[in-house]
Amino acid sequence: MEFATYKSDVWGREVIRGVSWDLLWLVVVAAFLIIAGHAIYEAAQKRGDKPSSDGARVTRHEMIDRVSHWLMATSMIALLITGIFPIIGIEFAWLELHWIAGILLTVIVVLHILRSILAKKLADMWISGGDLKEPFEESQKPGKYSLAQKSMHASVTVLTALVIVSGILMFMVIDSPWWERSNLLTEASLGWVFLIHGLSTLALVGVICMHIYFALRPEKLFYTRSMIKGWISKEELDANHDTERWTPDETS
Amino acid sequence: MASFDVMPDVQLYQPTELDDALNLAEKFGDSGWLVGGGQDTYGWLKDRAKNPQAMIELNGIEALHGIRETDDGIEIGATTKLREIIRDERITRDYSLLSDAAGRVASPQIRNVGTLGGNLSQDTRCWYYRRGLDCYRAGGNTCYANGPESMNREHAVLGASRCVAVSPSDTATALVALEAIMIATSVDGVREIPAEDFFVGPDTHITQMTALDANEVLTAVRIPSKWAGKRFYFEKVADRDVWDFALVSVAVAMSMDGNTISDSRFVCGGVACVPHRLTQVENAARGKSLSDESADAVAALASQGTKPLNYNHFKLPLMENLVRRAMRG
Repeated sequence: MEFATYKSDVWGREVIRGVSWDLLWLVVVAAFLIIAGHAIYEAAQKRGDKPSSDGARVTRHEMIDRVSHWLMATSMIALLITGIFPIIGIEFAWLELHWIAGILLTVIVVLHILRSILAKKLADMWISGGDLKEPFEESQKPGKYSLAQKSMHASVTVLTALVIVSGILMFMVIDSPWWERSNLLTEASLGWVFLIHGLSTLALVGVICMHIYFALRPEKLFYTRSMIKGWISKEELDANHDTERWTPDETS
Repeated sequence: MASFDVMPDVQLYQPTELDDALNLAEKFGDSGWLVGGGQDTYGWLKDRAKNPQAMIELNGIEALHGIRETDDGIEIGATTKLREIIRDERITRDYSLLSDAAGRVASPQIRNVGTLGGNLSQDTRCWYYRRGLDCYRAGGNTCYANGPESMNREHAVLGASRCVAVSPSDTATALVALEAIMIATSVDGVREIPAEDFFVGPDTHITQMTALDANEVLTAVRIPSKWAGKRFYFEKVADRDVWDFALVSVAVAMSMDGNTISDSRFVCGGVACVPHRLTQVENAARGKSLSDESADAVAALASQGTKPLNYNHFKLPLMENLVRRAMRG
């Protein structure tokens, strides 16, 4: 299986054309195997009762963060559908939809970064030395986000940055309502941009599969609920988080 | 680009039954190459710009040849020669738009061997693509014809999406105007595809010109009687009178009520990757008489929505003037 595909440039030199989309099936199969393996492992574990969602509630996600998350998710899914469906043979006029969704994602990401900086919430997502003890010490509870959640966020951050930057470069070399295409990039450079865009897309497919799987796991559903309704119960907070590291406000 | 004096090694199949051809098309898929008259085949192969594993020659299949009357019009087999279409009495009487268009294809020698199916299915003439460059249409990641320094006099002014190639077929415009139905056959069955949907643009299918799947054979073209005997106009502007592709062409079918246009289809060739219907012209022409005044009134609509490249702005007044000439009394 090839990692990249190659072509001859206008001078007859071999240059990278882009990613080999055969890797898509590898990613899908790998994601399925990991998910299946984890599901079997979890089914074999004996877990105590889930903490109740009744009683006092605390705020986990403010409305603006929830709206931002779901807009980001929508644009990401739209990008994956418009980018990947034509590759697997479901053909439609995808290009405009793709770059419109790309612009939406870029705007939301920029706003998200600004809010994170201005609201001084960057520390919530920073992976610290203490977080690394979580997998090995059962008594080590996370602050607002667990190591797994922070790792997922870090992966999505890096991959999204790569698809956005490479996507903008690709956008520059096609006609748009605002500019005519340019020869900004040599064919060799363009090939690298296509390769980076393709590889980060493939990685995002895997990461998003994991994200959706964990969001739907029974023991994690309260996090998904909090991304919809904004709250978790006090009991869920005490059972899953170190309240000295994260002290959320109570809510009704 | 390397040049070659001889043809590459390629398997040649010459089935005499349609089922055999369909099985071969199914077997070889993308690596097979259907051959009618071969006029758009041997250049590709000789230059090694396309490298099929097998050629499936369709001329020996009797079922694909000939012009037949149907309950609602006529059916033309895909391997019917262009010369036969030009000389067929029914076509010249009732569907002269098609015979006029076929009569402007290439040269007499090419029309003697070229088939209707081949003319409709031929690949674009973009020379960057035909030179064998790895452009979008060849599965690559750039268009050489739409760069700031590109030579794109013959390319698209409408409907471009990354690729700016145009449909080269003269008969395609006429068949879209006549609301023809393309019959695509495979081992899975028969598909009837309206001519307007048969030709596909780069926004959806950047590496192909038609909606034919790799295992499908264009077996026939059906022309309904709706436009039989109506008023037609075909004009093709090219650099040469013969053996050349259209810079711009127009195929027009008009249903007249006295001297008033009650319904019409205006289709432009050479301006987009597909035969381009001028729907705004059609709407504006409805209820108008054939006259210089009407022609002047609707002609400007022909070029609306166009986006010319560096070297093909001249196509815009050409489109308008061809519509103007079609509308004159």
